[in-house]
Amino acid sequence: MSGLTRRALLGTAVRGTVLATMGGGAAFLVQKAHGQVVWQVDAARCINSRLGEAGVEACNLCTTECVVALSAVRAVNEYSKCGRCNICPAYFNITSAVDDLGLPSEKLCPRDAIERKPIGKVDPEDPANNFYEYIIDEVKCDGCGKCAIKCKEPLGLGSIVLKVRYDKCVNCNRCAISEKCPKDALQQLPVGQALR
Amino acid sequence: MQYRQVQMIGGKFHSAVRGLATDSRGWLYAAGDSRIQVFDPAGALQRQWTTPRPPHSVAVAGDGSVYVGQEARIDIFDASGKPVRAWTNLGILGPVTALGFVGNSVLAADAADRAIRRFDLTGRFLNHIGKNNPVNGFLIPNGVLDFAVDAHGVIHAANPGKHRVERYSPAGDLLGHIGKFDGNDPAGFTGCCNPTNLAVSDRIYVTEKAVPRAKAYDFSGKLLAVIASSVFDPNVKNMSIAAAPRGRVYVVDTVKLAILAFEPVAP
Ligand code: SF4
Ligand code: SF4
Ligand code: SF4
Repeated sequence: MSGLTRRALLGTAVRGTVLATMGGGAAFLVQKAHGQVVWQVDAARCINSRLGEAGVEACNLCTTECVVALSAVRAVNEYSKCGRCNICPAYFNITSAVDDLGLPSEKLCPRDAIERKPIGKVDPEDPANNFYEYIIDEVKCDGCGKCAIKCKEPLGLGSIVLKVRYDKCVNCNRCAISEKCPKDALQQLPVGQALR
Repeated sequence: MQYRQVQMIGGKFHSAVRGLATDSRGWLYAAGDSRIQVFDPAGALQRQWTTPRPPHSVAVAGDGSVYVGQEARIDIFDASGKPVRAWTNLGILGPVTALGFVGNSVLAADAADRAIRRFDLTGRFLNHIGKNNPVNGFLIPNGVLDFAVDAHGVIHAANPGKHRVERYSPAGDLLGHIGKFDGNDPAGFTGCCNPTNLAVSDRIYVTEKAVPRAKAYDFSGKLLAVIASSVFDPNVKNMSIAAAPRGRVYVVDTVKLAILAFEPVAP
């Protein structure tokens, strides 16, 4: 992803737009003026998804710093990358005790925002004989990043990343998260690029 | 039972080390970058040759010929590294991430099809192994399918999405499995998908990712030893493993691009 980071932009006045909340982020974005820029998380920089670091704690500044209640950032599962695993380390607390079904007994998400659904018919003889879909409820999720950091390689496949949702973001001139982000991961992108 | 590190082969690879194998003398064959490198037991490079495509796996047949698995093809070399045959039309869909031999047949793991294919010595397809199940193959979110054949011709295959090592007959019958998920007990397999790689001799050796570990089990599934863990880079994944004489085990550190050798410590 190429774009302008906060540091590159400091001192540059970027006109904000008062935004009406609409259904989907994409539908919302296409209504924006040509040449408009919007904020997005660069997954390659965000602590919760950047590769090459293991054993670090999840960063929750996207939750605590955003000016919008419950944050405009959500965890998003990119299904094309998801392994549809029986035991997802982003869904389960994988160090909790194993239950009678052989699964970890506790979930990871503090807001119970992830649903685990079997794909197809479950083999009654062996529930591990199945793929599972992990669906994030964006009404509950506050973008705390706990699931994303557990999904990243090599523990997971990196399919869950944090994203600014454009039906929630008010497109601050200077994103409040970007002011605090330790990895300078909030970027301003032209609308067309954000849509891609 | 404890192991100690006895050797490290480093500085020989530039971008990847994906597959390891040993021959009957205990020489080590490493598939990485776009070449095969052969090391003697002292770790000295004895031979090397290039491969048509980046290799994913290597295996040494009883007659000393060297089979190299690549994207949708297998190339066969003589013991000196001279090309003998190229199997390019096998119906394999993706990278051949493991190779082996049972009787007069060649086994190849097709990581895209998530199954092992058995061929005769002319490359004629005989049967699938591990495909006849509700998920139509092995569960390998890690992208690598690995197996090894024991002295009795039983195929042991890692099924990381199920946290098991499964046993198959050459005809493809599932004979049983060892292993289960456990995020705390080292006897179990942790994470989304482990073990990723394995080797078999008088015991079953496996590697895991996140937490990186090499471990030894007996054939009943009892953990014999955690061979090593903290020596590996925490970001390793799909660490190939090979067994050599005297209990020696070679393991690839896929981040450091090094091969580490371990041997059991005498009690
Ligand atoms: S503040 Fe930066 S590092 Fe922290 S979660 Fe947000 S994007 Fe990631
Ligand atoms: S980001 Fe936090 S709240 Fe949202 S699904 Fe993941 S763990 Fe739950
Ligand atoms: S621009 Fe404003 S509303 Fe949007 S993510 Fe940043 S702080 Fe939140």
